[in-house]
Amino acid sequence: MFRTARSKVQTWITAGAGTFAALFVAGLMGAFGALPAHAPPQLPLDAAIDAGRWRVQPVRAYVSHARVYGVLLKPGQKALVLEADMTNRTAQSDKAYFDVFKPDGIALPDPMPMIALTRDATLTPELHPGMTERMAYVWPLAGDATVPASLSFGVTAEIFKPRDNLFGMPGWFNPYRLGTITLPVADVQGTGS
Amino acid sequence: MSAVSTDSGPIVSEETQPEKKWRRRSLVALAILLPLTLAETSYDSAREWLRGEDLIARDVDFGQSVPFGGSDWKLADLRGGKAGRLPDHAFAVIATFTVTIGDPDLQKQWLGCKLMLTDAAGRRWLPDFISGVSLPAGVMNCSSAIFSGARKGDVVTIGDTFIVPEDTIKTIRPAVGLGSERPWYLRFQRPPK
Amino acid sequence: MRIRVLGNLVVLAATVAVSYGMQVTKPHYADLTAPIPVDGAMHDTVRARSFDVRLDKVVFARQLKTNQFGQEKLLTTSGLWAVVSTSLTATAASTTVADGTWQGPAGLRYHQTERLGYRQDMPPHGVDPGLEKRGLFVFEIPPDQISGASLLISARQFGPLDAQARISLDGVPTSADGQPADVLPEYDLDAPQAQTPQGKT
Repeated sequence: MFRTARSKVQTWITAGAGTFAALFVAGLMGAFGALPAHAPPQLPLDAAIDAGRWRVQPVRAYVSHARVYGVLLKPGQKALVLEADMTNRTAQSDKAYFDVFKPDGIALPDPMPMIALTRDATLTPELHPGMTERMAYVWPLAGDATVPASLSFGVTAEIFKPRDNLFGMPGWFNPYRLGTITLPVADVQGTGS
Repeated sequence: MSAVSTDSGPIVSEETQPEKKWRRRSLVALAILLPLTLAETSYDSAREWLRGEDLIARDVDFGQSVPFGGSDWKLADLRGGKAGRLPDHAFAVIATFTVTIGDPDLQKQWLGCKLMLTDAAGRRWLPDFISGVSLPAGVMNCSSAIFSGARKGDVVTIGDTFIVPEDTIKTIRPAVGLGSERPWYLRFQRPPK
Repeated sequence: MRIRVLGNLVVLAATVAVSYGMQVTKPHYADLTAPIPVDGAMHDTVRARSFDVRLDKVVFARQLKTNQFGQEKLLTTSGLWAVVSTSLTATAASTTVADGTWQGPAGLRYHQTERLGYRQDMPPHGVDPGLEKRGLFVFEIPPDQISGASLLISARQFGPLDAQARISLDGVPTSADGQPADVLPEYDLDAPQAQTPQGKT
């Protein structure tokens, strides 16, 4: 088959075509990647937001100078609190809501918030399918940190895969920034509830 | 592939002969290698499982002292009765062992130490807390013995409390399992009446 | 010779078809390693691998009263509290039964509540062979998840290929619209009627 010069040329062309196709596709993809990604949108506050496995409705944000929902603060600390109504959109009880909200442009001593059920200050309980509960995200801040009167929070969502690539198990993957919510931040001097 | 190579004319018989031979050899090798691979990949799990289970009993007569996990074990006492807060139709049992320490590295030798009661049917009871019943003075349970700092030659008394159903009280026998000796465990004869 | 080439092609095509068929019909890994259900009804003793369980009673309440560290707490919920009493026994060896799930009619899974903190009668339940023990499982559920639901009890939360008791809750009285027939305004977990038979001597 590969004996004649003609077939040799043919072979080269066949093998080469694949390479060229690959280069072309890669080039295209790179070109698309270089396009300016459109920024995550500003999300409305008056409607519930479907963010992956959670449906969230932000309620209010404030700075507390005292213990809120049983979350103890170190002396000299204050806390940024975001309260939101959260609904589990999945088919089973879950508590993977730690990364849903993240304040923008504020230095956090610990990026991981304390999250409490406002009903009875249970810390990070599982939320059950379809049962809406008000949760308080509490980020301790240094006492002298300045918090703007209006603050943006990034909202992170995940996508559902019926089969993941490793085990073929269903699950939530690839967190991405769904958008931004902006809330006025009140300053609460007294003792929190 | 074979279709292509056998197509090409007179050298057929010379080429197929060794090829056939190798094909047969490969098949035989497969029959040997596959089970070997299976054995090799499951070896660790099998070993770990054996090290975690009390599977094979080593029977010990009453009054006899047996080396186990670097120390000498002897059943000191086995007594049962109604005491403390118990469920209906249940007895409280205290089993104690006299142990002469040989290898003082108890944290290694006695890791996963387990005192048990077994009955004629092979059922097993692990220690239970009974409110109102405490171990006699000077008797430690297994895990506190590990950290007691006992030295070579020391004689310590190890024991624990159990809750067993009434109907098994006639046949229960105390047993001891240690991480360093599994899958073997000691099963003691009951003290004579 | 042409037949031979054709034959090879047919074999190739058949292989592709069979492989594709196998890939498509292959059960999920999650299904292959799922717990093995053992079905039963209310008031029946269901025999799982390491424990036996009998569902004795289901009580619905709007509020739960509990004592936490000597402090009385009244727990509310956006749905209903379901307090499930079971009798548990170990089969061969002392063990623990730690996991309860309320599975709604459409398959939604409500895991046992974590809001009660540590209690003697709450999971994980230490169980012994031959000794029946009362164990509670408490759930927060929406009222529309009651009729057609079942209770899943297993030794631990992620127990691949271990037995899972699946008890149908058809015996729970509900009205025509699926709402529970009887909802208490408040249920006291520490009330004497909720005491375990274990308390007697």
